[in-house]
Amino acid sequence: MVLASVGKTVQLQKKTENIRNICILAHVDHGKTTLADCLISSNGIISSRLAGKLRYLDSRADEQIRGITMKSSAISLHFEKGDQEYLINLIDSPGHVDFSSEVSTAVRLCDGCIIVVDAVEGVCPQTQAVLRQAWLENIRPVLVINKIDRLIVELKFSPQEAYSHLKNILEQVNAVTGALFTSKVLEERAEKETGTQIISDSVPGDQVYDWSAGLEDTDDSHLYFSPDQGNVVFASAIDGWGFGIEPFAKLYSQKIGIKPAVLLKTLWGDYYLNTKAKKIMKGDQSKGKKPLFVQLVLDNIWSLYEAVMKRDKDKIDKIITSLELKIGAREARHVDPRVHLNAICSQWLPISEAVLSMVCNKLPSPLDITAERVEKLMSVGARTFDSLPPETQDLKNAFMKCSSEETAPVIVFVSKMFAVDSKALPHNKPSLHRQGQLPEYCTWKHSLKRRPLTQEEIAQRRELARQRHAEKLAAIQSQELPEKALCGNAPETTGKTGETKGDEQQLTSQIEVMTLKTVKQEADNKESFIAFARVFSGVVRKGQKIFVLGPKYDPSESLHKLPLGCSAEADLPSVPYMACCILENLYLLMGRELKDLEEVPSGNVLGIGGLHEFVLKSATLSTSPACPPFTPLNFEATPIVRVAIEPKHPSEMPQLVRGMKLLNQADPCVQVLIQETGEHVLVTAGEVHLQRCLDDLKERFAKIQISVSEPIIPFRETITRPPKVDMVNEEIGKQQKVAVIHQTKEDQNKIPEGVQVDSDGLITISTPNKYATLSVRAMPLPEEATRLLEENSDLIRTMDQFNASLNEDKKTHEINQKTLDKIQEFKQKMEQNLQGRKWRNAVDQIWSFGPRKCGPNILLHRFEGYKKSVWQCLDKTTKEVSKYRDFDNSIVSGFQLATLSGPMCEEPLMGVCFIVEKWDISKVEEIMSTKRQQSEECDATEWKQDEDEATCLSRSHITECSSEDKEFKGSSQGSPKSSEKSSKRKGEALLADCYGPFSGQLIATMKEACRYALQAKPQRLMAAMYTCEIMATAEVLGRVYAVLSKREGRVLQEEMKEGTDVFIIKAVLPVAESFGFADEIRKRTSGLASPQLVFSHWEIIPSDPFWVPTTEEEYLHFGEKADSENQARKYMNAVRKRKGLYVDEKIVEHAEKQRTLSRNK
Amino acid sequence: MSIFTPTNQIRLTNVAVVRARRAGKRFEIACYRNKVMGWRSGSEKDIEEVLQTHTVFVNVSKGQVAKKEDLVKAFGTDDQTEICKTILSKGELQVSDKERHTQLEQMFRDIATIVAEKCVNPETKRPYTVILIERAMKDIHYSVKPSKSTKQQALEVIRQLKENMKIERAHMRLRLVLPQKEGKKLKEKLKPLIKVVESEDFHDQFEIVCLIDPGCFREIDELIRCETKGKGTLEVVSLKDVEEGDEKFE
Repeated sequence: MVLASVGKTVQLQKKTENIRNICILAHVDHGKTTLADCLISSNGIISSRLAGKLRYLDSRADEQIRGITMKSSAISLHFEKGDQEYLINLIDSPGHVDFSSEVSTAVRLCDGCIIVVDAVEGVCPQTQAVLRQAWLENIRPVLVINKIDRLIVELKFSPQEAYSHLKNILEQVNAVTGALFTSKVLEERAEKETGTQIISDSVPGDQVYDWSAGLEDTDDSHLYFSPDQGNVVFASAIDGWGFGIEPFAKLYSQKIGIKPAVLLKTLWGDYYLNTKAKKIMKGDQSKGKKPLFVQLVLDNIWSLYEAVMKRDKDKIDKIITSLELKIGAREARHVDPRVHLNAICSQWLPISEAVLSMVCNKLPSPLDITAERVEKLMSVGARTFDSLPPETQDLKNAFMKCSSEETAPVIVFVSKMFAVDSKALPHNKPSLHRQGQLPEYCTWKHSLKRRPLTQEEIAQRRELARQRHAEKLAAIQSQELPEKALCGNAPETTGKTGETKGDEQQLTSQIEVMTLKTVKQEADNKESFIAFARVFSGVVRKGQKIFVLGPKYDPSESLHKLPLGCSAEADLPSVPYMACCILENLYLLMGRELKDLEEVPSGNVLGIGGLHEFVLKSATLSTSPACPPFTPLNFEATPIVRVAIEPKHPSEMPQLVRGMKLLNQADPCVQVLIQETGEHVLVTAGEVHLQRCLDDLKERFAKIQISVSEPIIPFRETITRPPKVDMVNEEIGKQQKVAVIHQTKEDQNKIPEGVQVDSDGLITISTPNKYATLSVRAMPLPEEATRLLEENSDLIRTMDQFNASLNEDKKTHEINQKTLDKIQEFKQKMEQNLQGRKWRNAVDQIWSFGPRKCGPNILLHRFEGYKKSVWQCLDKTTKEVSKYRDFDNSIVSGFQLATLSGPMCEEPLMGVCFIVEKWDISKVEEIMSTKRQQSEECDATEWKQDEDEATCLSRSHITECSSEDKEFKGSSQGSPKSSEKSSKRKGEALLADCYGPFSGQLIATMKEACRYALQAKPQRLMAAMYTCEIMATAEVLGRVYAVLSKREGRVLQEEMKEGTDVFIIKAVLPVAESFGFADEIRKRTSGLASPQLVFSHWEIIPSDPFWVPTTEEEYLHFGEKADSENQARKYMNAVRKRKGLYVDEKIVEHAEKQRTLSRNK
Repeated sequence: MSIFTPTNQIRLTNVAVVRARRAGKRFEIACYRNKVMGWRSGSEKDIEEVLQTHTVFVNVSKGQVAKKEDLVKAFGTDDQTEICKTILSKGELQVSDKERHTQLEQMFRDIATIVAEKCVNPETKRPYTVILIERAMKDIHYSVKPSKSTKQQALEVIRQLKENMKIERAHMRLRLVLPQKEGKKLKEKLKPLIKVVESEDFHDQFEIVCLIDPGCFREIDELIRCETKGKGTLEVVSLKDVEEGDEKFE
């Protein structure tokens, strides 16, 4: 057992060839953290008796409660093997799918990994995932088959059965590795083929097709796990034992007298020992013999277990003496046999010894980094390594050398930022001075920097402390001051003169403690961010100035901007995605503890403090600007679970926003966004991840009560052509309509009197004062046209701005030719999409787009005498004076308002074209001309209108508006005199100002006209759709389909990934159905399918939200009330309910089935 | 006089009585609870689900049926069903618990939606969500008054919410074009009404783009109309000044 001090670690960090950076990867619950515990206990950090129970690296409360790891955490261990001393930077990673991003961050920093597989469960989905991740990052794996004790105790396997079971598992693991290998080879071959295609095409003729897939040529034997290769350990972490084949081979070679090399090769495999001939023979099964492994290894372990479990004292003693072990009396007498077993096994076959020596032998040191991996790390995205600038390519050597020399460029990769309570930082701990390794001046510097006390206060305290000290001195006089130990590493304290100096220093340290206490209280509520990083080259020092390169940084761009050979010290021009910062603190990561470090040489894992302002989630740090940012991390799971978050108390909004920002930085796989609706949305990888994020928000980052809800789902409203067939696929019109109860009554409700509707949906409506009449028709736009409008919304906006400036007659700000070309192209495309008789000249008649003047709806004018169009910017005509000009804006605003919220559930419209076919304002003109002659004083108009124009416009329901209409009508018809009078005034107002109340009326009328025109057509809802890509293995394909169809999903395609048994399914899924989708699909497929959702498009929901059965067939099929679910109606009602709009639903469905209890019974 | 025995008694449960006074007489019909409002709003179309019996009573609880001649006198017909329908739509009734509850809840939501639509968080220029407003309304113990319009109540709610949280009505963006002469004079008068002046432009005309509180719109409109005698113009650039698009935290 070695007790590693920080000093020792610092020493070891300099011997790069003896460093191993490894991580432990496995499926959830296969024993990663337990294994880590065993390894940690070998360093004496925790007691060996607690190993496996403590889960030292699970430092979060919820990790301990749930029993799963949720973050990757690192610890540095010391290991002695022979005469060599090794430093092992061990990173424990979570196994749950939701936290696979943490696995990615861990894998990036390592050179090798330990794959742990449960001996009972075998290869699980996450095992495959982590193998794939290790493969993608080019790091070398070793295998630990854990929980062998379960085979003995739980499953009661015989050694023979256990052997075949283990063999099976090994084959499974190798199969996964093999699949990864073949898919890579096939990919490479495909690439090569496309490259050679051109050449081979040019020489046709006697070509022989090459059937070999290139697999035969490529050697893959080194990839596989096999005990005789020494990269497999059989273990039981909970009982503290583990072994490779090697020690057994050595042991038996002496006993049986066979060469260890031979034994090493034959101990695993179909070999048996012929005891008579003292020979090892092949083919155990055919001869019914025990394989060598069973006979020599497993049998012994089994008998030990049997003896201890049955408490066979004699046998135990015999085994113990033969193994030359010493077991404490306490363990031997313990009630639980497992304790006894643990004591024996951990001495006989200590797991840490087996695993760590395998790690040291088989996994590469930072020096052995492969050129392939370096190139992969350095080339971002599709760029190949060769295309990088030469300076950058030179850095490859630095990577390969991994040297810690002064001259070597520093390259550090930060894979994640994690939050630590400020209290946990070493320099905030009051006990600091007793940790001998920490240099005095650094803490002094910190207290200087953070000192909340003024000079006077310090002087006062110093005075006080001096007095106290003087008293103390008097008391112990000649004795050496015990306090001196406090400042032991201050050289000045020696000698006579040193005494006073020592006093002084001791005083300052006292003061420091005081100041630190106050600092601590202040920092109580703060979270510090520490970067989880690794040095790939050079030496990092505390206080060093360094470049921070963001993921989007491009060295080739910035290199010519910067002077050659510049360093971070100099003043430099600003370069995108690059910043300069000072490394404030360096830490040695020891699980939940952090230790201050002065410098860290190449090849080590470390924590860096003070980067939180520069680094969001990951970054590359370097002293050379030529360094490229590392390739982004491969995330197995993308964020997919969306929830809306709100503070319980609305006044705590700022805290929430701040907390969410912190959370975003602290978690590599979380997305945080504010939507246009004002919702704060959190996107996480899964339900467990979500829970952790919420806990973090509540307890660490925001510290407020929050409430979580389903996010608001947007819809769009549109219209379609009238359907040709009804709901039972019969042609419409042939059936006799059955009189629906009160059907007529409903129809009347929809459109009030005073609005004329003709048979093909032309709406004619007058303004409340009857001065202007509008005729509007609504038509569905072709799908392509809608898409075109959506894509070009930015272009439309610039067009609109330009038109506005043209109309204003101002200095027109020029648009460049490029934009004009784009507009021209856009216009042509629109013309292509709008063809046919109905759309004749439509493009030239476009009046406006909506909503917000750039949406996917258009307004056309089809009446005489109007020429304005949106294409003004193309021919650059300035405004023309027409009679309509004054009111033009009102109509457009009315259209904008109508498109912003539709009649179905006040959601924006999409893909609708409104055509104004008639616009009669002759009366207005008349009045204007007559009134112009009179020169009466204009008195203030008191046109009764709703409290203000804006509120009246921005929102009104059908019912409200119709009542408004009636109100106006009542006032104008009911008392002709007053209406005359008001019309007079109106005329005045018109004369005086065209933007007065009449324009407001016009806006409202236009809006109503559009609404009714919509209602006259078959209305439909549009749902937002996700494209959903699912990777699933063949056996769970059926379940994936079941989940998809239950949620109204539609499968678009399904193909098999070459070289594997994984299917890739592409489907579309309504956003409204996606809540809980990821969780359900994972549950149903036991984690074998992983979905990804991306918003793709809007899709019309085919069912009519207002549909009721009308024909006889429909009655037969659906019944009178159409009880079967109507998807569109369900969505519509949900939205209306949420918005507090009137919902056409009965409070009580069946009158007779109400509770009849009265209160006094 | 018939004998009143339990066998020829029809006991009605879940009764809601709708009353109407016609021709000096009171008529009643027996309906089911929670159904009358549904009928009036049109969501319930089946009369059988509304009426307990197609009989017109003088007094439902005593079981006294209205006399035929009275009916003819009051309604001009003796078709009981038709009379029932008229009473259903015109008569008065005690609104039952569930009906009242749904109505209040609907109004509460409606108010919250209006508030959420009109207001923004002044710090971020982002709207609040309806759910948040609803919760805030519950926090200030706002009680819905069924007699006032939701719009009126929404304005009241905004005023009350301002005391507790950072909320403000979304500003309206206007463009004012004023003639040079009156421009200066008018500007002084407009000043207290304008929240933020975004741009000013003196050329041959005086042009201002500004943000105002929507409550001041009428005042400004009137002011400009009167003072400039119709020469000045006012244009609404946007009804609501809010941040658009999604924002991702970086």
